[in-house]
Formats: sequence, C-alpha cells, structure tokens
Amino acid sequence: MKRRLSILSVVIALLAAALGPVRVAQATLGENADSVASDRKALSAAAGRSTVRDGYTIQEILSGAVTIREYLSPDNIVFAIAWNGLSNPDLTGLLGAYAGEYHQALQKASRERGRRHYRVKTNRLVVEKWGHMRNLQGRAFVPKLIPPGVNVDDIR
Amino acid sequence: MTSGRSLLRFLVIALVTGCGGGGSSSSTGSGIIGSNVPGSNVLSITVNGSLCSPATSASYINKPCVSVTVCSPGAPSTCQTINDILLDTGSYGLRIFKSVLSPALSFTQVASGSGALAECVQFADGSAEWGPVQVAGVRLASEPTVTVPLQVIDPGFANISTSLTATICPGADQSPAAAGFNGILGVGVFVEDCGQACANSPANGMYFSCSGSGCTGTSAALAQQVRNPVALLPQDHNGVIVMLPSVPPNGAAWVTGSLVLGIGTQTNNAPSGVTAYPTDQFGEFTTVISGSAAAYSGFLDSGSNGLFFTPPSPSRLPECSAPNAGWFCPPSPVSLSATNTGSSGSPSGMVPFPIGNFNILVSSYSYVFANVGGSAPGIFDWGLPFHFGRNVYVGIEGKGSSLGSGPYVAY
Repeated sequence: MKRRLSILSVVIALLAAALGPVRVAQATLGENADSVASDRKALSAAAGRSTVRDGYTIQEILSGAVTIREYLSPDNIVFAIAWNGLSNPDLTGLLGAYAGEYHQALQKASRERGRRHYRVKTNRLVVEKWGHMRNLQGRAFVPKLIPPGVNVDDIR
Repeated sequence: MTSGRSLLRFLVIALVTGCGGGGSSSSTGSGIIGSNVPGSNVLSITVNGSLCSPATSASYINKPCVSVTVCSPGAPSTCQTINDILLDTGSYGLRIFKSVLSPALSFTQVASGSGALAECVQFADGSAEWGPVQVAGVRLASEPTVTVPLQVIDPGFANISTSLTATICPGADQSPAAAGFNGILGVGVFVEDCGQACANSPANGMYFSCSGSGCTGTSAALAQQVRNPVALLPQDHNGVIVMLPSVPPNGAAWVTGSLVLGIGTQTNNAPSGVTAYPTDQFGEFTTVISGSAAAYSGFLDSGSNGLFFTPPSPSRLPECSAPNAGWFCPPSPVSLSATNTGSSGSPSGMVPFPIGNFNILVSSYSYVFANVGGSAPGIFDWGLPFHFGRNVYVGIEGKGSSLGSGPYVAY
C-alpha cells in the first residue's frame, strides 16, 4: 500500500513538473473511503449526497463541470466511479493505481468514428464513456471488486 | 460562389467515381436518392456520397454530410464553401478545421479578458476538438448570412504542447483525416454549445482563456459561446427537419436527403403527421425498451452512426467479435421496439427498430444502414439509423412552432 502510494506520488510529481498546472487527485479506485475526501479536496469540489443502496453506498462529489459518484462496498472500498457533466473528469487521479494501465490501453485503442460510446478494458479495469454534448457520462470499475449482487448496469 | 460550389461538387464526384469509393460510393454498390425539397432554406444531405470527402471517410459508415459557406465577417464576398461537414443533431454550433479554411478568410477572434477565447469540446467516443472561438459569417443553403461565433479546430492553437493538450483537451483530433470530417454542423435543440453553466463558472472544462503564458479555464457569456447558426436566422430560426429516405435491410452505398431550415415558417416546412416530444435541460426524453423495465435517457443524434443502448436481453443481441466488439451481431435479424416519452411525462409513442448482424452488413459494398446498433450504458442514442424513412423535427429551445415550444423533437 505504502509502496504503491509512493510510486504514485513520484509519477504525479513528474507529471506536474512536465505539464505545469495539472488537476491532480489522490488515488481512489480500489482505495478506501478516505480517498473520497481526498478526491474532493484535489478537485476543489463539494460533498454531495450520500445514497445507501442495497449492498453499497454512493458518495457524490460536485465539482463545477461534473458530478462524480464513488461507489463504496460494505467494506468501504471504492469499487467503481461514475460521472456526468459538461466535460469528462481527469481520470488520472480518480483511477489511482489503475491509471497507468488505463493510459496504456487507451493508446492502443483505435478511434471508432461516429460512435457515442467507447470502452477500454485492461486485465483489471473497465472504463466506458457515453452521452453527448452538455451531458457527457462515463464510469470506471474493477470487476473483481464489485460486491456480490450488484448489477453493473446500475453503475451510471 | 455558385460556380465554385458546382466545381467543388464536380471534383468530389469525380474523385469518388475515380477512386471507386474511399468510403463513399462504389462501382457495385447502389445509392438511394431521397427527397430533394426545393427552397432557399434547404441544404442537401448525402449520407456518405458526394458531400462526404473520400479523404476522411474510409470505413466510416452512416456519415451524414452537408456543405456550408463561411465568410469573413463584414466582407460578404470573401467566402468559401466547404463540404464534408458532419450533420449533427446531437451537438450545437459550427466547428471547422483551420487546415481546410482558405488563408483569404479572416475571422474575428473572440476575446476573453486579456486573452483569446478557446474551447475544448469532448465527444463520447473519447475524441475532442480544440481551438479558438472566432466570429464568422455563416451561410446555410441560400439563407441570409448570419454572424456567429464558431470553433476553428486547430490542435496547435496557443502552442499547447502535445502533453498539455492531453490535460486540457485529451483526445484532441489532429487533422480532418483523423477526425473523419472537415467540420461539424451542430443543429440540435439548444442555442449555445454549453449554455448558462459556462456563463456562470470558469471551471466548466470547455472554455479557456489563452495568452502567451498558456490557457486557463474561463467563463464565457452566452453571446460569446459557439452558437447553433440556425437559431440566428432571421426567419427560419425555430428548428430544422432532417429528411432521409428508407434504406433496405442490406443497406445502400449512399443516400441523399434534405435538411430543411425552419418549422412551419415556409410552404416547404409545414409539420405534417408528427408527434412532438419535449426534452429536458439535457435535450433528453425517456426511452423504455419493450421487454425491459429500465428507463433510459433518450436523445436524438444524427452524428451517431448507430443506435446505442443497453440490450434488454444480451443473449438475443450478442456483441460482435473483434475488431467490431461493442456493435451487435445477432445470428439473425432481431426486431425490437421502444417507447419514447416526453420529458414532461407525455406524450408516449412506440418505435419499432430492427438490428442486424454488424459484421455481415459491413462486409458488403454498402456504407449506409438502418439496422446497426451497439451497446451503451444508461442511454438510448437514437442515432442516424432512426432517421431513415422519417422526417425528424428538431425544435430549438425558447422558440415556438405549431408543434409547441422548444426544446423538443418530433417525428
């Protein structure tokens, strides 16, 4: 855990040095509930509703352009993230330890013109985007972390 | 301009014929000529076909193209007619690649504080367009020229490096060939591409103020935002009608149709035999697929080249094998239906729709299909296949017609 975080910090520091102002969030997907608060802080966002569903909890984070929903399992692990808004959020921070494999898979994904949906899969992670202007949407989830009984279709 | 336009069309047709397709036509595929409504308020549409450039259309199915004329503001004789503009009822405003604009044109940069206003628009396929917002004269069909902010798509604008683009505007298209079009004409239900949210907050993720020191998020007043040029027409400003012919189950090489400007404003655009469905603040209504209890956000989008939705039964609509995963490949054609309901709770109406096997369909000489679809969570995207064999009306927000007050869609 500690090692992963320190590698992440180095990556973030390198990115920040290379790119200048970057909207960096802390690790989230696969982390515990504390990371919801750190995401909120990093995104300069406000806490939104907390909704308890059958077998999991959804914690909303409201930032200017986008509403992010973090899905927490009963043992307080973020197993999925969904969002909608004017633009897609910077996923690098939200995906935490999964960001590297996401960006690698993204580079390999071919452009499919005319589509209004895309899906990037890695061995551990699924990232999807859909929607249209003024209401762009998406989700990222780790299939292995989804609690039993939760329908993937409900993550949106 | 007329002769220039004819010459351009001639060249495009010659290219298409000469190359035997390039994604538009083919020597063995046959096209379908749809309604060619006469009038000064009518743009021709070709789905694939002559208004689509072969250079950007390879393997791009169901691509609706129009041509628009852009002029230097205040210099109505300095104009250029550009084809291969994607007709998109799912977005708002005109966007054209800088690389296809004549150097003779001179648009007016919109200021943002001490910098220049620029924009990143993201699309749901993971792509995006980056570039400055500039005021131009825009002429649609033979309508009067309107002065309107548009986006000049310019991946090099403000010298943002490739790595910084990845932060401000991830997935920004680098060229018309990469994007699949020379530009996009967004004629959906809204006037501005963002609206009040971008006027209120600088953290909107869409608008940026760029100067020598870089680009930072900014708010943009409604009048500065990229605007749907139809909404600014003197007379035919309350919406559009997309008219496309029916397409047989095996598809067609290309089809032609009409984009009529205005609803009930001329003798050629009186509503007939259609029902209007009001949309919400996102341009959405409600869609429920028969056989499923789930309600999805439905929207109209001619810029989507399929019907995208969550199948009520994944076993009936399996996804294709690679490289077409995400599209549906049922072993035999499937007939489905869905009920659309206006955002206010009424009216409701059922729409039957067929889905064929994507891999089999696209392995033909055809490029245009009324029966292709793919999976998407949470939405029902009534893309281009929905438009074939229909007249689809798009009512712009805040403007009325005999069908009601926009935003609405009607068919």
